[in-house]
Amino acid sequence: MALSTDRKWDWEIKAQTSWWGSSPQELWSYRHLLIGLVRRDFLLGYQQTILGPLWVLLQPITTMLTYVLVFGKVIGISTGQVPVVLFYLAGVVLWNLFNDSFTGTSSTFRDNAHLFNKVYFPRLIMPFAQLSGFLISFVIQFLFLLLVWAYYLLFTSWHGPSISWLLAIPFAVILLGMQSLGLGLLFSVLTGKYRDVKFVVGLGVRLLMFLTPVIYPVQYVAAKWRWVVELNPLTPLFELFRWALLGQGTVTPGQLLYSTLFTLTLLVAALLIFNKQGDKLIDVA
Amino acid sequence: MSEVVIQIEKLSKLYRLGTIGTGSLRQDLQRWWTTTIRKKEDPFFQLDSTTAPNQALWALQDVSFDVRAGEVWGIIGNNGAGKSTLLKVISRIVRPTHGTVRGRGSISSLLEVGTGFQPELTGRENIFLSGYILGMSKAEIRLKFDEIVAFSGIEKFIDTPVKRYSSGMYVRLAFAVAAHLEPDILILDEVLAVGDAEFQKKCLGKMREVSQSAGRTILFVSHSMQAVTNLCDKGVWLQQGKVQTIGAVDTVVNQYLAHAQQFKLKQSWEKPADAPGNNAIRFKEVELVPQLLEPNAPLDIRTPLTVKFQFWNFTEDALISINLVLFSYGGECIFDVPSATRVCQKGLVAGECTIPGNFLNDGSYYISLYVVRDTTTSLFDYEECLAFDLEDYRGDIKWYGKWWGAVRPSFPFRLTQPQTELMLQ
Repeated sequence: MALSTDRKWDWEIKAQTSWWGSSPQELWSYRHLLIGLVRRDFLLGYQQTILGPLWVLLQPITTMLTYVLVFGKVIGISTGQVPVVLFYLAGVVLWNLFNDSFTGTSSTFRDNAHLFNKVYFPRLIMPFAQLSGFLISFVIQFLFLLLVWAYYLLFTSWHGPSISWLLAIPFAVILLGMQSLGLGLLFSVLTGKYRDVKFVVGLGVRLLMFLTPVIYPVQYVAAKWRWVVELNPLTPLFELFRWALLGQGTVTPGQLLYSTLFTLTLLVAALLIFNKQGDKLIDVA
Repeated sequence: MSEVVIQIEKLSKLYRLGTIGTGSLRQDLQRWWTTTIRKKEDPFFQLDSTTAPNQALWALQDVSFDVRAGEVWGIIGNNGAGKSTLLKVISRIVRPTHGTVRGRGSISSLLEVGTGFQPELTGRENIFLSGYILGMSKAEIRLKFDEIVAFSGIEKFIDTPVKRYSSGMYVRLAFAVAAHLEPDILILDEVLAVGDAEFQKKCLGKMREVSQSAGRTILFVSHSMQAVTNLCDKGVWLQQGKVQTIGAVDTVVNQYLAHAQQFKLKQSWEKPADAPGNNAIRFKEVELVPQLLEPNAPLDIRTPLTVKFQFWNFTEDALISINLVLFSYGGECIFDVPSATRVCQKGLVAGECTIPGNFLNDGSYYISLYVVRDTTTSLFDYEECLAFDLEDYRGDIKWYGKWWGAVRPSFPFRLTQPQTELMLQ
């Protein structure tokens, strides 16, 4: 064995924190941890509940029913040609993905301070695991949505869009996932540093829902106020999702480009800030 | 000489106590406004040692040393000397303020037993989860799963949620996972202070096995000098964040013990005005006098200790007695010994009490003296007036776990072997 001292060092710890964080190889080597954490969250989530994993479906169904009653029947917001149930279910399922991933990842440092203080692993694994878990729930909910969709298509007079439009759905979902992760990472640094921010997150996400076409279609927003809703980068994604699935939505390529650029910028900035600030936050935690 | 696997160079770590981010957004915005925009001094924090000495703490200062492959290092020092911070920096948990650590090979650190354990999950699930968190791969855990379960000795409960485990079982399972890590460099912080005696023995055995297997490097923080001397070949003694001594483990441990002994176990006052006490009595002197078996030996569990004290009594014809109360470092009372009562005149009163050798267990202790009048009225409580450490001494016993019990008295204890007719046949 060569004992030369010029063999390169495998790792180096310096005072400066890096903007780039862990290498992709390092993240990959911790993939089992990610799967383990998703599994843990799933097992813990439904421990000692009677209905167990059924809640994945019950939650959006009950929310959808409430919306149908309140916004559909009582207030009477028009959903256009689309059946009310389908309209709200699609909105709720997609909004859940955003809401859960954003609020879940935004408390990364607060929730894991103890763990981060005792053992090293790439900190990004935690938010990634959260997002993966919610994506799995989303897929289950989406499959249910497809069942309801198929029912309306086959047994009612409603005519859906052509099947090929469905191909646009993954695009909308992936962008939405990236946006919620980006926002979540950004806010995880803030909630780790300032306790006040967690209240802002809860309040902000509720307000954001009303600026997003979850319970109303953009086409029925008064022209005077439409710009507010269209400024929200989530709007094109919801409209694209509904357009692909239900054949009704107001979205232009320009809006999609805006949303895509916004998402990518946000995600890159959030990753850099997360990496740069993460180490400092451990000292405070 | 084998290759250097960890190179620690001028490592420093500054903690600003409670001031990285003042914790609320309003204050931070205010700080940002005054420091960045108006270029004035930070209203919440001045890194100026004269005005705010308590706000900055150098947990590590200019620590440098090289660790070579296969070496076992013991890191020793008092509480708060920076041992754990050093391990955390090397483990990549916290960033140093200055300096660099470079290394070769994989690192696993065990700063706590049971990191990442989830009470709601079963033992089996926790083995995997905690293994992943410590950096093991799925294949690696699968391969060692049976071994881990056997080592922990909880086969029957492996599919029970760990929240139903006894604390002993919990610790055994947690350590079992960690003990089967196979990194090139292993970092251990005081992990042996847990579990029952039997299990500690097993852990130390396992550690020795790990350290002797080829090329494994270990960094080990412990308060047990016995364990450090027996397991390690190199030592670092940290004192308030700085390296005090570095080198062969025996040298370092001896210097550390000699220093610990230098704590002048004595307090005295010239004038009653400065002395602790009140209108009834004031202490003139308290002293712990060890009857060392040989000069310059450290205080160990064999050493008889005499507590001597003098106080001024300001009341005529007072019926006085004194209680000597010994506490462990953790604040548990070990014993409370009352003196005989005595009618004292105005003036000095002296007393002494001897704690025999071979009675206390090893550890850190402090003594409080309570002065009582008429056997009922407390005149003055002199809390924590003396403090001392007792080192361990095991003689021929080749077992290094923490010895059980608040005290370790040496009672007459004989083994005999009655010869019976039956056995002789």
